[in-house]
Amino acid sequence: MKTMKLIVPFFLILFSIVMLISSFNLQKANLGNPYGPIYFPAGISIFMLIFSIIYLMQELKNIHKENPSIKLMLSGRTPRLICVTILFGIIYSFLFERVGFLISTFLFLGALLFFINGKRKWIVNTVVALSFSFISWYAFSELLGVSLP
Amino acid sequence: MRKIGFVSILILIMLLAACSSNASGSKGYPDKNLEIVAPASPGGGWDLTARSLEKVLTDENLVEQNINVVNKPGGGGEVGWKYLKSKDAHTLAVNSSLVLTNNLLGQSDLTYNEFTPIATLATEWQALAVPADSKYSTATEFLEATKENPDSMKIGVGPGLGNDDHLSLVQAASEFGINPSELNFLVYEGGGDVVTALLGGHVDAVTTSLSEVKDQHLAGKLKILAVSSDKPVEGIEDVPTWQDEGVDMVFPHWRGLMGPPDMTEEEIAYWDEKISKMVETEQWKKVLDNNDWESFYKNSEETEAFLKEQNDLYQKLVKDSGMMK
Amino acid sequence: MDGGSFINGLMIAIEPINILWIIVGGFLGTIVGMLPGLGPATAVAVLIPITFSMNPVSAIILMAAIYYGAMYGGSRSSILLNTPGDGSAIAATFDGYPMAKKGQAGEALAISAVASFIGGLIAVVGFIFLAEPLANFALEFGPAEYFLLMLLTLSAIVALSIGKMVKGFLAMMIGLTLSTVGIDTQTGVYRFTMGLPHLSEGIDFLIVIIGVYAIGEVLYNFLNIDQQKKDKKKVGKVWFTKDQWKRSKWPILRSGPLGFLIGVLPGAGGSIASMISYTSEKQISKRSEEFGDGAAEGLAAPESANNAASVGAMIPLLTMGIPGSGTTAVMLGALIMLGLRPGPLLFEQQPETAWALVNSMFLGNIALVIINILLVGLLVKILDTPAKVLYPIIVLLAFIGTYTLSYSTMDFFLLLIFGLFGLMMKIMDIPIAPLVLALIVGTDMEQNFRMAVLSSNGSLGIFFSSGVSIALVILTLLSLFYPLIIKLVKKKSQKNTDQPEQVYKSS
Repeated sequence: MKTMKLIVPFFLILFSIVMLISSFNLQKANLGNPYGPIYFPAGISIFMLIFSIIYLMQELKNIHKENPSIKLMLSGRTPRLICVTILFGIIYSFLFERVGFLISTFLFLGALLFFINGKRKWIVNTVVALSFSFISWYAFSELLGVSLP
Repeated sequence: MRKIGFVSILILIMLLAACSSNASGSKGYPDKNLEIVAPASPGGGWDLTARSLEKVLTDENLVEQNINVVNKPGGGGEVGWKYLKSKDAHTLAVNSSLVLTNNLLGQSDLTYNEFTPIATLATEWQALAVPADSKYSTATEFLEATKENPDSMKIGVGPGLGNDDHLSLVQAASEFGINPSELNFLVYEGGGDVVTALLGGHVDAVTTSLSEVKDQHLAGKLKILAVSSDKPVEGIEDVPTWQDEGVDMVFPHWRGLMGPPDMTEEEIAYWDEKISKMVETEQWKKVLDNNDWESFYKNSEETEAFLKEQNDLYQKLVKDSGMMK
Repeated sequence: MDGGSFINGLMIAIEPINILWIIVGGFLGTIVGMLPGLGPATAVAVLIPITFSMNPVSAIILMAAIYYGAMYGGSRSSILLNTPGDGSAIAATFDGYPMAKKGQAGEALAISAVASFIGGLIAVVGFIFLAEPLANFALEFGPAEYFLLMLLTLSAIVALSIGKMVKGFLAMMIGLTLSTVGIDTQTGVYRFTMGLPHLSEGIDFLIVIIGVYAIGEVLYNFLNIDQQKKDKKKVGKVWFTKDQWKRSKWPILRSGPLGFLIGVLPGAGGSIASMISYTSEKQISKRSEEFGDGAAEGLAAPESANNAASVGAMIPLLTMGIPGSGTTAVMLGALIMLGLRPGPLLFEQQPETAWALVNSMFLGNIALVIINILLVGLLVKILDTPAKVLYPIIVLLAFIGTYTLSYSTMDFFLLLIFGLFGLMMKIMDIPIAPLVLALIVGTDMEQNFRMAVLSSNGSLGIFFSSGVSIALVILTLLSLFYPLIIKLVKKKSQKNTDQPEQVYKSS
């Protein structure tokens, strides 16, 4: 619980350091000031590093204060909901161009609905998934002429 | 548990789909819907070229199959052309000199000769313009002054170094005996921003496509000093070409069409026939007119030679510009 | 301005077919604006093939209607779902969403429609009388002035994060860092693209908006999804109260001209306009502590500003042929295809076309305010949809919206990453707006700074060299220190008078 609070600041510190190092490893410009492309990202990374450290210290100071959101995030079926949504999103990304828009969208929306809304409401879920993937396909592809796979 | 079952079914479908994608027969070409790739977002120059092609080819009944325009923006065309490379002969893509320079600038591994040249379609010309109240009234005067003090002359260009706007001035400068890598370019985000900067007097000169500045010149808001065409341009006959100014160059900013690698002779012949007919139609001429383009038609064979010659030129220009060491 | 052409233009605009296009465009724009990621630029672009067969005047009227229609629509989803559809609708989340949460969704939708309407009208009037001088004013803006304008926007962000300054700064730094991804325009060097051609033009801020707002919001709502009550949520009336109008009246009237002016500047646009108007209203308001908590004027001001900005953006397009935003760039391309070339010659050669458009914007705003107020009753029904059905649909819309940005599934992964990122930010209570705004202005800010310094041969004096730039510097300093000054003054007066602070009762 307490360590959870520190994950974000630590991540940001790490991120700033990585950005700082890669800023200095950027290719130098052949035209004009060779360091032109480097100043801005390097400067920003340094500021970001400073602020992440201050942020870390703030969180350390308040380490005993509870953050109700974190507690909620780790309780009940929330962690599963988040992970599964992301996972479905990844699967959808792979399916999208391979099996086409209609089928992949129906599967994705259906899966999300079944998972979030529960199996008991399967009628609603199926109807929504079917109608919605068809309507969105029709609206985008036919009416707006967006090229969908 | 059942969820896991569901997920694994999804994964299975995915794998199946991945395996069973490529299947094509070739009776009479083309035997299915055609695709024209615009390697840019809707509304951009490449997109409009692709959509005009689609419209003229369809409206004039030149091509029976359906033609779809597919947008694949990113990487200065690279994303779209990579996509083209993975397709069969029913997909073509719009191109321009970026198909050469992306590689020459080390920004892409794709080279122009990995594709099948189909046609060169149209060209625009490049212009060098200065503010209406500029003390330079000819291109020669401007280049003389630049030669003396290259650093002091702020030249606007957009949207990136290495494009035709930039390289056309590089060529003019180096023909004139100026080391182009010493020129002081300010890079704006797009052609429009470049013109605003000139009108507002924030730069001393701009190099851009003629269409961006032609109306402004006619309205007396700025002066075009030279155009990169071989003969004076209709509507602004008073503006000299670079050749008139004693700088030996003609610099087209062309657009063309290319196909995936290894298209057959008959497929190429099909497009040679269709496109050569298309460029003669009134509708296509209207498209050229509206866009201030000039016809620059070359068939597949001519285009192949043209690209080779252009590639050699660009190689030299990119080196001269100082962008690659 | 030329009276005869004005009347001729009006005649063209009120032809039934053009009225029809105004309504169709406005309606379509509203719908498209509501969907995450689908902005006016996309909507105009996908319509290009349709406009091919139209006459140029109708085409430009239709496209303009979509443009400002999307400005109306953009805030709908900000208010109802905390998911802005576009950069210029971000400011509408600050107070619009809290209003909806308090059960005032109907009021919020109505007042934002009316605010947009008034902002649009102010701008159209401004257009009629001031187009020419304003176009010249816009030309005054060189790289130094643009840099300072971006700086002013960022300082507004700082003012927004009062109370959590460190987190606000941190979010801004992350946004600026993300903005450096992609090709460096001044030198052509690729930065942080990890060898992916897809990233060479940078990370599209719209993906980040959809990710952190839409996906992030859905994930965040998972925290208590099973506790959310099933009973009908209060949506309030479909019209705002007298008190809300009294509070919003002046902010709307002030923000209209402000947004219009910012809109005229090529490259600035609705996001900057709405943000600057929000923070300036917050700072001069006597009730600034209510901002962010569902203050009606905090919603009305940016709404008025961004709609006025969309009208202002037509000025450089029509008078100079210079597109000031993504949308106007697409419009320019489409118009050229139709043989109509906006630019310095348009008002001379085809004055009726230009004035027809101006008049159509006037009519369009009237049509839109009606459409939007009629839609209020329908839109609040969205809140009646069970959350567990609504969230999957939002996720799906986010994916589709993302796909239309660059037609690549690669962006889906970015979307998911930013969704998770948004979730963590919400959990740790890090403000999101600074990140998105910094990303929007970051690239321009850096490039303009470097261009300014290049053109002055390294001297920083260029940032104080013109009246405009000095004014911008002063405004920036004011926006940074105004809250501090106010605080000091308040403390003093509180000590002196010892009056209990008025408690504002919310209805």
